[in-house]
Amino acid sequence: MKSYSQISGEIGEFSNLPFWKKADTVDLVYVSYGLLIVSLVILSYVLGMFNLMPHDPQALNLDLMMASPGTSGHLLGTDFLGRDMLSRLILGIQAYFLPGLLAIAISLSFGTVLGVLAGYRGGRFDTGITYFTNLVDSFPRLVLILLVIAAFKPDIYYIMIVVGLTNVPVVASLIKGKIHFLRQKNFIEAAVSLGLPTRTIILKHILWHNCRSLFIIQATLGMGEAILIETSLSYLGFGVQEPMPSWGNMVQSGANYFMQGKFWPSTAPALAILFTILGFHLLGDGLNNMLEGKRGR
Amino acid sequence: MAKTILEVVDLKKHFTARKTLLSAFKEQERSIPAVDGVSFYLKENETVGLVGESGCGKTTIGRTILRLEKPTAGKILFDGKDVTAMPSEELRKLRSEMQMIFQDLDAALNPKMRIRDILREAIKVHHDITDEEIDGRIGELLEQVNLKRSKLSNFPHELSGGEKRRVGIARVLSVGARFIIADEPTSALDVSIQAQVVNLLRDLQKHLGLSYLFISHDLRVVELISHKVAVMYLGKVVEMGLAGRIATAPRHPYTHILWSSLVGKQSKEASSAVRNVQSGIWGVFDFERAYAGCRFAPRCPVYESKEYPRVCTDPASEPQLRDVGDGHQVACHFPL
Amino acid sequence: MDAPLLKIENLRTYFYSQSKQAFIRSVDGVNLEIARGETLGVVGESGSGKSITALSTMGLISAGPGVISGTIAFQTNGVQKNLLQGLENYVKLTEQDGKVMHVSKNVVGWEKHSDRIMHKIRGKEIAMIFQNPKASMNPFTTVGKQITEAIRLHTKTKDPLEAEDRAAYWLKQVKIDSPRLRLTNYPYGLSGGMCQRAMIAMALACEPSLLIADEPTTGLDATIQSKIVDLLVELKGELGTTTMLISHDISVISRLSDSVAVMYGGTVVECGPARDILATAFESKHPYTTALLTSIPSEQNIKEKGYLQAIEGDVLDTINIPLGCRFYSRCNRVTDAIRKKCESHEPDLREISPGHRVRCWLYFE
Ligand SMILES: Nc1ncnc2c1ncn2[C@@H]1O[C@H](COP(=O)(O)OP(=O)(O)OP(=O)(O)O)[C@@H](O)[C@H]1O
Ligand SMILES: Nc1ncnc2c1ncn2[C@@H]1O[C@H](COP(=O)(O)OP(=O)(O)OP(=O)(O)O)[C@@H](O)[C@H]1O
Ligand code: SF4
Ligand code: SF4
Ligand SMILES: [Mg+2]
Ligand SMILES: [Mg+2]
Repeated sequence: MKSYSQISGEIGEFSNLPFWKKADTVDLVYVSYGLLIVSLVILSYVLGMFNLMPHDPQALNLDLMMASPGTSGHLLGTDFLGRDMLSRLILGIQAYFLPGLLAIAISLSFGTVLGVLAGYRGGRFDTGITYFTNLVDSFPRLVLILLVIAAFKPDIYYIMIVVGLTNVPVVASLIKGKIHFLRQKNFIEAAVSLGLPTRTIILKHILWHNCRSLFIIQATLGMGEAILIETSLSYLGFGVQEPMPSWGNMVQSGANYFMQGKFWPSTAPALAILFTILGFHLLGDGLNNMLEGKRGR
Repeated sequence: MAKTILEVVDLKKHFTARKTLLSAFKEQERSIPAVDGVSFYLKENETVGLVGESGCGKTTIGRTILRLEKPTAGKILFDGKDVTAMPSEELRKLRSEMQMIFQDLDAALNPKMRIRDILREAIKVHHDITDEEIDGRIGELLEQVNLKRSKLSNFPHELSGGEKRRVGIARVLSVGARFIIADEPTSALDVSIQAQVVNLLRDLQKHLGLSYLFISHDLRVVELISHKVAVMYLGKVVEMGLAGRIATAPRHPYTHILWSSLVGKQSKEASSAVRNVQSGIWGVFDFERAYAGCRFAPRCPVYESKEYPRVCTDPASEPQLRDVGDGHQVACHFPL
Repeated sequence: MDAPLLKIENLRTYFYSQSKQAFIRSVDGVNLEIARGETLGVVGESGSGKSITALSTMGLISAGPGVISGTIAFQTNGVQKNLLQGLENYVKLTEQDGKVMHVSKNVVGWEKHSDRIMHKIRGKEIAMIFQNPKASMNPFTTVGKQITEAIRLHTKTKDPLEAEDRAAYWLKQVKIDSPRLRLTNYPYGLSGGMCQRAMIAMALACEPSLLIADEPTTGLDATIQSKIVDLLVELKGELGTTTMLISHDISVISRLSDSVAVMYGGTVVECGPARDILATAFESKHPYTTALLTSIPSEQNIKEKGYLQAIEGDVLDTINIPLGCRFYSRCNRVTDAIRKKCESHEPDLREISPGHRVRCWLYFE
């Protein structure tokens, strides 16, 4: 019996025109922008680590203070001590990269464990974790950070540990919610009754298949958040301490000269913050849409 | 004499309505007696049909047997071993012998996995076989449930209701269990494929000696496939016996009503006559109102026609299952 | 005669399989007609596109390319409205021998446009009972909230308390025990059949002019099934509700329907008055309909516990639509005279007696 495909060679073609209106394209743009930012961040981190910057970021040049962007050799100008802005921006990443990762690692790992315990085991775990969440939520995070700084020292790692820990309940409750959802769809029970080991159900079915996008979003948000928190602390003078640059303390110290028409020392790091955070958010969003599909029944 | 594979003894499962802050102030917790003292047994190579009103606790029985719910009271013996007190590792091994086809079409299907991976996983759980063998087995299963190979690369949400149902059945069959609880396995299937599935289940029983607990609302199919039938009403078994007897000579008023209300048995014109038999007052039942004696009394036509005998609503004399000959059991003071 | 309440013409809903680089022709040229106050029963093979036809009517197809051609004429307030109005602006089809070979569609634009059309109609004018009730209810809100919300959104009842009363009333109508208690239940606390009835209640509570019921009675026991059927009959008599009833249960279809459409492989192969099509004695039927009806377990079958008769052969693969009649590979009534035609030309849906249309060469001279 002949079927339609055999006579036409091709069974069918479907093209989604115009392509720029296709939803996936938007996500692609998001993700590529995000990836660009992330690679820039990583590149800066590596450059900073091996001291491969156009200038020594700590070298004072009192002859060339507040040079405007474009001044020979200084693409983004210099700050009030004549230090090269670009080099300091690159070095500034050092303040966020590892501490940010640490915060993400803490919130994701502890959050996942607690979330799985609460969602999968339920009962007392669930109650306990709910109390913990409420406790953490009821305490302003900035106050907590300031307390820690006061008790120890204003170190970015301490700050990020606190940021990570305060994010644990968020991740835990998201994962718990997801598990409850799957449970109500009877899907976990079906897996249990199939005889799958608990390990497989949790790792493969719940975490890998159904929580992937959640992890990605939380991770990207976490990085953005790390930068933001440091910036606000810098304003209070508790962030990364001079002479070590961070984008936060650069904005803060540059702001004094803003009124004098010298906008670059504060604007450059501010824009860096803006674009970087945007990049992380869009990356998370785009990846989420790609993995999850935007619309679903 | 065939071996008894499953024995359920006085099984009870009561759900309590969710405890909220508000309900703590109310005097008593509302409890829903989903299963309230059910006993039956199942022999090797045998099918027991379980029918009853929607919401009477059939699914709950199946889930408790699989230990997806903890029973409130009672015992479940599988191969003589008590399932209710089994450690989880042993329980997991038991799953290779005991499986359930879920009523909910989506239940068994991870929304993020392709059909091929779902089946593959199910085969791999209890069998240590190579990938080629798995593919062969998948092909075999697909043929058995009459599903197209092209659907293998689809995600569950891309299937029609009947296709999901067939994937669910294939998934359960792939385990190779000896005992299968089939919770409405033929719903969402057209009559032709339904016939194939029923034939398949019976073939497997003949050749591999499987046992089924067959839960369904399709009374014709139940009658056809079951050796014995248990009729449930509000968490209790009210009648149990050979399938043919239950269908043609029911003794409990509820069974009688159930079978006579088969939609096909009534033409448009005759339906009013049948409805008279069914007693016009099929009001809704109130769980919160305590019932005394026979649970069926508020709807029972016999109770009504006998002018409300005391014994039916006497709390001290709730009718118990008793033998009326040939292993046919009825829980009624005035069996038909 | 009145124009029909709903008239679907040449509806095509395709999906695209990336791995096969091919269309899944789930609905491929469906024609249906429901007169006001009538009940149309839709039967057919599993996977033949019944639910997809219904979802297309509701504008709920979310995967591409989705609906690509056809008209769905629906009457609201006495005005005929095409629910697929403007579809052609978003889709370009390339056809060959009357079959679609290439589709370019602006899916996003079309969906926005369709949502605009359907906004006032969905839920209010056309309500749907979904095939999988558990999956179609929100697991995180109580049943009561969901129904109350629907009532306040779609009917004149806006007062929350009053709406709750209505919700309880409808739960009672579908014979749910202790309706007040159930209003506070979450969907997972309901049995399969209760969930289904809650879904029915939700659809009915919106008092739609067209009700699409996708297998509304599968999870219900015989007694309640017959009560629900009674309820639908009553609604039809009292409110004149028009219903499109999709079901595999021929007995339910035969009790409720005025006319019947039989679907196979994405098309309607036969439609006409219910009493003709479902009567065993009636001769001029599509071979698939005949085969379907003989698969119903008979009394004899049940008594003897014999094997059930299934239709021979494989189900149709909607990726690989045959050139000729879709039922050809399983048809046992092909005669030598028509074999050539059956093999290479698809028959059209032709009227062979008043109101009765069949898609089979057997009946065409
Ligand atoms: N998790 C739960 N929490 C509270 N009540 C529940 C829960 N699960 C089931 N119930 C209640 O237990 C009763 C029995 O439910 P079950 O699902 O066993 O019915 P069923 O006989 O399978 O009905 P159906 O034929 O409609 O599927 C119902 O009244 C239901 O509301
Ligand atoms: N999103 C999708 N992507 C690909 N194929 C799909 C999608 N949705 C449905 N299909 C296919 O379309 C066909 C028709 O599906 P539909 O749900 O309409 O069947 P049905 O007639 O309702 O069958 P049933 O009686 O089993 O519910 C099926 O073969 C199904 O696999
Ligand atoms: S015991 Fe009485 S009320 Fe109960 S079923 Fe029998 S006759 Fe009816
Ligand atoms: S057209 Fe030919 S193949 Fe198709 S149903 Fe009719 S007789 Fe059978
Ligand atoms: Mg059930
Ligand atoms: Mg369907």
